[in-house]
Amino acid sequence: MRPSPRCATLFLPLLLAGGTLDADSSAPAGDADSAAAPFIARNCRMCHNAVLKNAGLDFDAHPLPASLAASPEIWEKVVEKLQTRQMPPPPMPRPDPVQTDAVVRWIQTELESVEATRPPDPGRVTARRLNRTEYDNTVRDLLGVTLRPGDSFPHDDAGYGFDNIGDVLSVSPVLLEKYLKAAEQVSRAALLGPDPQKPSLTRLQPMGAKIEPSTTVPAEYDETGLSLPNALHVLHRFPVDAEYLFRIVPSGSRPSGSEPVKVAVFLDGEQIQVVEVDPGEGPSSSSFQQDLTGKTREFRARVTAGEHWVAASVLRLYEGLPALYGGPNPSRLPMPAPPPFRPPENATPEKLAEARQRYEARLAQKWPVNEAKVRHIELIGPYEAAAGASPESLRKVYACGHLDGAHGRECPRLILTDLARRAYRRPVTEADLRPLLRLAETSRKRGESFAQGIALALRAILVSPDFLFRIETGPAVAAGEGVQKIGPYELASRLSYFLWASMPDEELFRSAEDGTLPDPTVLAAQVRRMLKDPRARALVEAFGGQWLQFRALESVSPDRDRFPTFENNLRFSMRRESELFLESVIREDRSILDLLDGKYSFLNERLAQHYGIPGVKGQEFRRVDLAGTPRGGVLTQGSVLTVSSYSTRTSPVLRGKWVLDNLLAAPPPDPPAGVPRLDESTVGVGRSLRQQMEAHRSNVTCAACHVRMDPLGFGLENFDAIGAWRTEDAKFPIDATGALPDGRTFNGPMELEAVLRQDRDAFTRAATEKLLTYALGRGLERHDRATVKAIARRVAEGDYRFSVLVMEIAQSLPFRMRKGDGGPS
Amino acid sequence: MTPIFGRHLARRTFLRGAGATLALPFLDAMRPAFAAAKGAAGRAPVRLSFVYVPNGIIMPDWKPAEEGSAYTFTRILKPLEPFREDLLVLSGLAHNNANDLGDGPGDHARAAACFLTGVHPKKTAGADIRNGVSADQIVAEALASQTRLPSMELGCEESRTVGNCDSGYSCAYTNSISWRAATTPMPPETNPRLAFERLFGDTDNADPATRARRARERTSILDVVADRSRELMGRLGASDRRKLDEYQYAVREIERQIQQAEKDPRQVVPPIEKPAGIPETFAEYLRRMYELQVVAFQADLTRVATLMVGREGSLQSYPEIGVPDPHHPLTHHQNNPEWVEKVTRINVHHLELFAHFVSRLKATKDGDGTLLDHSMVVYGSAIADGNKHTHEALPVLLAGRGGGAIKSGRHVAYTKQIPLTNLYLTLLDRMGVRPETIGDSTGRIEHLADI
Repeated sequence: MRPSPRCATLFLPLLLAGGTLDADSSAPAGDADSAAAPFIARNCRMCHNAVLKNAGLDFDAHPLPASLAASPEIWEKVVEKLQTRQMPPPPMPRPDPVQTDAVVRWIQTELESVEATRPPDPGRVTARRLNRTEYDNTVRDLLGVTLRPGDSFPHDDAGYGFDNIGDVLSVSPVLLEKYLKAAEQVSRAALLGPDPQKPSLTRLQPMGAKIEPSTTVPAEYDETGLSLPNALHVLHRFPVDAEYLFRIVPSGSRPSGSEPVKVAVFLDGEQIQVVEVDPGEGPSSSSFQQDLTGKTREFRARVTAGEHWVAASVLRLYEGLPALYGGPNPSRLPMPAPPPFRPPENATPEKLAEARQRYEARLAQKWPVNEAKVRHIELIGPYEAAAGASPESLRKVYACGHLDGAHGRECPRLILTDLARRAYRRPVTEADLRPLLRLAETSRKRGESFAQGIALALRAILVSPDFLFRIETGPAVAAGEGVQKIGPYELASRLSYFLWASMPDEELFRSAEDGTLPDPTVLAAQVRRMLKDPRARALVEAFGGQWLQFRALESVSPDRDRFPTFENNLRFSMRRESELFLESVIREDRSILDLLDGKYSFLNERLAQHYGIPGVKGQEFRRVDLAGTPRGGVLTQGSVLTVSSYSTRTSPVLRGKWVLDNLLAAPPPDPPAGVPRLDESTVGVGRSLRQQMEAHRSNVTCAACHVRMDPLGFGLENFDAIGAWRTEDAKFPIDATGALPDGRTFNGPMELEAVLRQDRDAFTRAATEKLLTYALGRGLERHDRATVKAIARRVAEGDYRFSVLVMEIAQSLPFRMRKGDGGPS
Repeated sequence: MTPIFGRHLARRTFLRGAGATLALPFLDAMRPAFAAAKGAAGRAPVRLSFVYVPNGIIMPDWKPAEEGSAYTFTRILKPLEPFREDLLVLSGLAHNNANDLGDGPGDHARAAACFLTGVHPKKTAGADIRNGVSADQIVAEALASQTRLPSMELGCEESRTVGNCDSGYSCAYTNSISWRAATTPMPPETNPRLAFERLFGDTDNADPATRARRARERTSILDVVADRSRELMGRLGASDRRKLDEYQYAVREIERQIQQAEKDPRQVVPPIEKPAGIPETFAEYLRRMYELQVVAFQADLTRVATLMVGREGSLQSYPEIGVPDPHHPLTHHQNNPEWVEKVTRINVHHLELFAHFVSRLKATKDGDGTLLDHSMVVYGSAIADGNKHTHEALPVLLAGRGGGAIKSGRHVAYTKQIPLTNLYLTLLDRMGVRPETIGDSTGRIEHLADI
């Protein structure tokens, strides 16, 4: 619903003439029951009636109290609009806030009692297809194979903010083709080892930061070179465990007479090699500078399969320079002879003197000392890849125990029963086994090896709907009636995909098999165990990455001219910070309110440098106390600040919307059509960005929503579009004050966070909604409202600890039960 | 994204030798496929391609002032001037169903969803999306038995989104223009390497014996899972059945493609190098995707293709042409001359790359003419003015002669707002596919084959 100025203009003359619309504060506040209907009549009906029907709402057709039960969704909206003071919109007279709140409370109580009379509804989750992450993790846990075939699947469609929503995930012929191919790759890798790959060349050349040439040596600088713009950082997925040839290609120049430059190569923060590049070797284009460009160096190193952070940097950049630059450990090499003075022919004495002067000046000139950098890396490989199936894979596949291949007659049945049981996540029937055994048999009859026969059956398992989908079936019930308990095996899958984004492990399977898993004590113990397991990392990456949206960091591209310092080291470090922060809340079982304003984070040198926090040296991340800084909580982290900005500037509206969507679960309605665009060319020229956004407040139509969004964004304006602190934007001082519609004000991010902490219950409900959506794999409906409230209440009682939130969700009605779906027709 | 180049060293040497000999033997190898085409034996089949550009066009710099065959090429259309004789510029076409019709904001989602379907999509961000069947898929279904792949969907913008898509519309609407069924979008492949592998397979040994064994094994596996899914269906509720139905359709479709490939035993040697991934610059990326279409048509692996130059609402920036700002916000220019200029530059850039596609089609021999002679390539958008989100007087080009069915070389300006779907109905007719209607179509369009 958006307010229409049409209504206001109709009644404006009335108001101006001292009309009869007055906020009647004479009705007794305590008698809310009888006050609600007159309140609506007085304050709402003038626009929302049968004739005008603003926003399609007509209170004449929905009289209290009957319509509360008949159309609760309308009254929920009324509550929201009244609470946030969006209604009645200016310039309509504002009713007495005490009265408004009383009416709101009455409506809410009535709605609750209506809801309470309905039978509890756990909702239904549609059969959920494994998404990319889940597929890769499941294959890893099922077979010990670390190939990630999911990387080549199409991106999963997202719904309600997450990519694991059953209704939204679909199967297309293209995807099935990829599943078939992945099944071939994976089963071969598990039984026979990864396919031999021909070595190929990959060039890693990310966009780097700009280097401002300088002729002076700084007093202090990062000697590892990793946080300097001269370094190169990239994330690369190595296909297999193997040897790879690293070819380092530098560029830039050094003043003549410098010693060789040392380039260090790091893998996941650990130095694996140092190579030396002598700028003096070979010709250079100038006598005063020596060129590093193209003087490549190579070495081979063994790397495990998977994604690794590859970095190359210039060590001790300012050492080995000619003595005249005054740097540490100056070059002991002789300075090359200066080029001779070539006087111009037939020169007059003045011209001669001039030329001589220029020559002397040139000799005395200093050259940039900081340009040596790593331009790109070429990776060639794999060589000497580990061949054959890994011991772990063989152990997982050959349940018969004959890892050496000396199989008996019962082995196919033993092996396939175990594989199918774990892959289908339930006990296996003869009907499941028969076709698999037949496939293996056909392969043997064709003369293929035992392993090939098993591989063929395994391929069928991996494209079976029992593997690809999590289908929850139950006894047939009539449509829409009846509530069923989730069975033990289905519960095990729900838990493991919730907390690990992967299949259940043996312990979970055992507790499903003996039927104890649904018991609350056993369930609680399993949840606690699972949260401690390393696989719970999936919660950080998949849930956190989507809720707080730091997954989007992969694809942001801040404008290079405005933000010349942004490069991959910063990008990866921002993401790592948010991951480690969320992980600390989960692992240390901290209060979720720390996400709002916890006064600590995890920084490395590059990020600390970016934030202006001194005393953090080195590439590795460590916990840093943020006391005394204007940062704390996710809102002041580079990841959130960057993904909620445009490539060229900040957007208070985007940031405000981010807070409303993700932290307060109060998303603003969509903008109306034909919204006039912000005049980008005058931003920061005639008026500041903030001043230009005053248009939001002065225009009645816009104000209704923007009074909620803009202040939240203004409070963060001290952080630029890549999260660095600033006190000025172009030539305008930053004004980080904000005023919320309910009257609370704040100045700057810390005060904003304090205000949000006052709304801790709204935040807790928001966090609950998000995690519950993720856990269930469906959007939340009205009937989940009571569940969310109950969980949020208990989380508050449990000191807001994260484990309480997870536990409550795992024990909640929609997680343990399911609504009957009408069964087969 | 991190630019990654790759060179498969061994494959390059293999192709360098094979490349020179591709022309003649290659054509001979194509004969069996042509024999199955509609029309005279050996006559080259007609190909259909759709290229979609998002966020509208600066129309004053697009629409030529004159009609007929002697029109002046405007700034945006200029890159296509060398192909005047093969081009039709069509003005006055519209997509009424992309208008809000009471649904409020969401023009970008509606535009993309409507472009090839002519249907007003259901406004929802959840799972109950509903659109219509797109023109390309109608053809793909009809011609399915004639080529290895029924169709090809390509795109140059990763379809992953974190967050909302457009004013209450699901991302499925903005990310695809191709729809197999009312509830099933066909999301585009955005990775050139994977698109290549879909066309040519990804095993280095494409020898017939290995391919046959693979096909046989896959068929056995699909038999097993098809049986299982039939059995499962019987025990599921309605919404689960819908999911499994998608799965069953996919199984049947793959089985059909396997059978199709067995009927077409050609060992198709890819005439281009396998791309390593997504190229560094947008221009190279788009060129790569166009090239994949050309080779797919050339080898008759498919006769229907769609390409989304960007998703609707695209935020792509084009720093290489001096436009570092995201595309979509720029198109809400409010007539600011500097922003209008930037958008025009983007439009021109897209057309330059399209001209590259047209020139490759023209340079590729096909039967008794060129690929361009036998193709019908529609280039356009379902948004005309990106600033105001208008869906009439749309920018539409038709390149190619459709096997002689189209009289190119003119600017045709229709006087009323004719549904764009009428054009599609007419084009499909040329391919021998005759649905009653497509979306909101009211009949065939005039002036395509005559003056």
